Amino acid sequence: MSHTDPVILALRALGETAGTAQDDDHAQTCPHCRHEQARLTEVVDLARHAGPDEHLEQPPPVVWDRIAAAVGNATVSPTTVRPRETVASSNGHQGRAQDSGQEADVGEHRRAGARGRRGRLVTALAGLAAGLIIGVGGTAGVVQLTKAPATRVVAQIELSSLPAFPQWRGATGTAVMRATASQQVMVVTLHAPQRPGFYEVWLLARNGVSMISLGDLNADHTGTFTVPPGVDLRNYSRIDVSLQPFNGSTLHAKTSVVRGSLPAVAFGSSSGSASPS
Amino acid sequence: MDYCQCVDRTSDEDVSGVFSEGHPDALQLVYERFGSLVYSIALRSLRTRSDAEDVTQQVFVSAWRSRDSFDPKRGTLAGWLVTITRNKVADAMRERQRQSRVLLQVAGGATVPASYAPSDQVVDRIVLADELAQLPESQRLVMVLAFYSDLTHEQIAKVLGLPLGTVKSHIRRSLQRLRSRLEADSVAY
Repeated sequence: MSHTDPVILALRALGETAGTAQDDDHAQTCPHCRHEQARLTEVVDLARHAGPDEHLEQPPPVVWDRIAAAVGNATVSPTTVRPRETVASSNGHQGRAQDSGQEADVGEHRRAGARGRRGRLVTALAGLAAGLIIGVGGTAGVVQLTKAPATRVVAQIELSSLPAFPQWRGATGTAVMRATASQQVMVVTLHAPQRPGFYEVWLLARNGVSMISLGDLNADHTGTFTVPPGVDLRNYSRIDVSLQPFNGSTLHAKTSVVRGSLPAVAFGSSSGSASPS
Repeated sequence: MDYCQCVDRTSDEDVSGVFSEGHPDALQLVYERFGSLVYSIALRSLRTRSDAEDVTQQVFVSAWRSRDSFDPKRGTLAGWLVTITRNKVADAMRERQRQSRVLLQVAGGATVPASYAPSDQVVDRIVLADELAQLPESQRLVMVLAFYSDLTHEQIAKVLGLPLGTVKSHIRRSLQRLRSRLEADSVAY
């Protein structure tokens, strides 16, 4: 038979259900389609691991001055170099002035640059799609549908490993919170190596002590959980994934693989301003 | 508005052609297009702005001086620059290691072997972000939503007001394009 439709391969790479049982059979046996599928899945995994904040930074203008001087390029005027992202560029310039010659706070500059890009994204979306608002706070992306679907995505939270647990460095995850009229459902995906034990998902309270177990991740490191009704997510605002040994204990094993915070904007006044009209 | 795709961008192929012909303004064009790519890989690998600035300078000066060795038939200009960047970052790391070894020896400590290269993942992430930024705006929006929003392609079509077929074709073509760019830039030139 002919190869699987490239659109189906692309959608499957994104994790969507696409194609027929015939496509499934073909995908099992055809090395070409399997290879194509794997190539595209790698792109998707890379993009999702990097997260929406990954962006390029412009070097400060002084770098071009030095290059032009080094190659003796007198015909080139540095002032004609217009960085594509002015926000990132001005941050870089400030950084240079403030941190000249010292260890710069890369994180701070990344955040500053990302704000500029987010601003552009919001503008673009506002123009193209009046029904969708994207706002991003801290490490969390919030997607809100202002039309009235049966469920709406309340928040998408990037989970990352903690400095206190260097053995999990590089582990990442996402938690997508959906809300219906009556309940909140969280879909958690973890990207971490397989280790002995099982992964469990928790909500942590602001006091850092109280916690609620949502349940265990499946063998493919994903899980869908219903948030118990009545839980105040403004207090239980952190999502934590632990590695639990098979010892019968129901307590948190104190090994946090990844963690992330719900953005306040998702729940602060959500029942009022963000609810569908 | 800047999301309108009316701005006529110079394609990477045009930049590459001008560069390999040794046009006097070529280095500036190349720098405008790829300065942030080189700088971001260096900054993410070395973590200090002053080192990243030095490496960026070295990469473009070296690229200009050895421009005769660039052959567009053998690979892309971006891939060639990424290779030079990898080498310059490795040099900077080696130099750092040498300095800390001297310090450690002075202090009577042991030395630790280190790897002298930016990690492939750092390079791939930056290259991917760069290519994503090069996509026409509507394709880029579709891909941002497909990657990060948890919407299906049908929902994306609905919220962006695009025909379903257009969204499918954007997804297929963009994923292929991102993949090709990654493959072109990660292969050693």
